[in-house]
Amino acid sequence: MINPLALENRTILVTGASSGIGRATAVLLSQLGATIVAAGRNAGRLEETTHSLEGGGHHAMVFDLADLDAIPGWMAKVVEQAGPLDGLVHSAGIGSIAPLRVLAMPEVEQVMRVNYLSAVALTKEFSRKRTHRKDASIVLISSVAGVVGAAGRTAYSASKGALTAFARSAALELASAGLRVNCIAPAYVRTEMYDAARGSLTDEQLNALVAAQPLGLGEPLDVAHAVAFLLAATGRWITGAVLAVDGGYTAQ
Amino acid sequence: MDLTAFCLKLDEVLDASPGTVQPGQALDQLEGWDSVAVLAFIAMADTDYGVSVPAKEIPECRTVDDLANLILRQKA
Repeated sequence: MINPLALENRTILVTGASSGIGRATAVLLSQLGATIVAAGRNAGRLEETTHSLEGGGHHAMVFDLADLDAIPGWMAKVVEQAGPLDGLVHSAGIGSIAPLRVLAMPEVEQVMRVNYLSAVALTKEFSRKRTHRKDASIVLISSVAGVVGAAGRTAYSASKGALTAFARSAALELASAGLRVNCIAPAYVRTEMYDAARGSLTDEQLNALVAAQPLGLGEPLDVAHAVAFLLAATGRWITGAVLAVDGGYTAQ
Repeated sequence: MDLTAFCLKLDEVLDASPGTVQPGQALDQLEGWDSVAVLAFIAMADTDYGVSVPAKEIPECRTVDDLANLILRQKA
C-alpha cells in the first residue's frame, strides 16, 4: 500500500497553530509524519496544540507576526532550532467586520499586517537557500472573501485578496528554485474566528450564510486535508493555484 | 453612559450629520437604519465601548435608548 500524502522526514512551519485551521493542520501534518514548528501568539493555547501532535521532536515558538521587523531574526531562530524547512503554512490571521463609515485606519493596517504583510516577510525568509530544503512548498490560507465581496468586510477581503495575488507572482519567481507557492480559499469553517463573527450576525443572516454553502459549514480538518495535499508529493505539479475549499460557495 | 455622546456615535453609524440622532428617537424613523448600519453599530460598540453586542438582540430594540441599554447590559 502507498500513501502519497506521507510527510515523513519533513519539517513544516505552521503559523496560527494555536487555534482553528492552523491547529487542525499542525495535528494532521504530524499524523502524516511531519515534524512541526508550531507558531502562535498565545503560549497556553500553543501548548494545547503541541500536546495534540503525533510523534516527537516538534517545536513550539511563541511569536506575534504583527512584528514584521522581527520576522527575519525569528525565522533564523526557527531554522537554528528545527533545521531547514520543507514547508510553510501561513494560517495566522485576524477577522474584521466594519463598514467603511466606522472603519478606522489602524484596524485596516493591523489586518493587512497580520494577514498579508507577515506572509510576504515569511515567504521572503523561507525562500532563502539556507532556510529551506529541496522541493519545499508554501501554502497561504486565504479566504473566499478574497474572491467574493461582502458588505463590512473591505479590510479583511483586501488582505485575503492580496495573499492570492502575491502567491501567483511568488510562485513564478520561486519556481526555478524548486519552491511551490499556493493558496487555499476556504469559506466559513467552524473555528474561533467564525464563532466571533457569528455574534455579529442575526439568525436570519447566519442561516443565509450557511445556506450559501451547498455542502454546509466546513470543519478545520476539511481545510487541513487540502493543505496536506498541496504540501505532499500529491502537489508536486501545482503552483500559483488558489484552491477553493468552500463547500461550493464560489461555484454559484 | 453619556447619551449625547452615544447619539453622536450613532450619527457616525448612520452616516448622518452630527446632532441628527436624538435620545428617545424610534429606530424605524431613523434614515439609514439598515443592515449595514447594524454592522456599523456592532463595530462601533466594540471599538468605542469595548463590548460585543449580540446581533440577535438588535431587532428587539425599538429606540435609540434601547440600543444604549443593550451596550450597557453587555458591560454589566
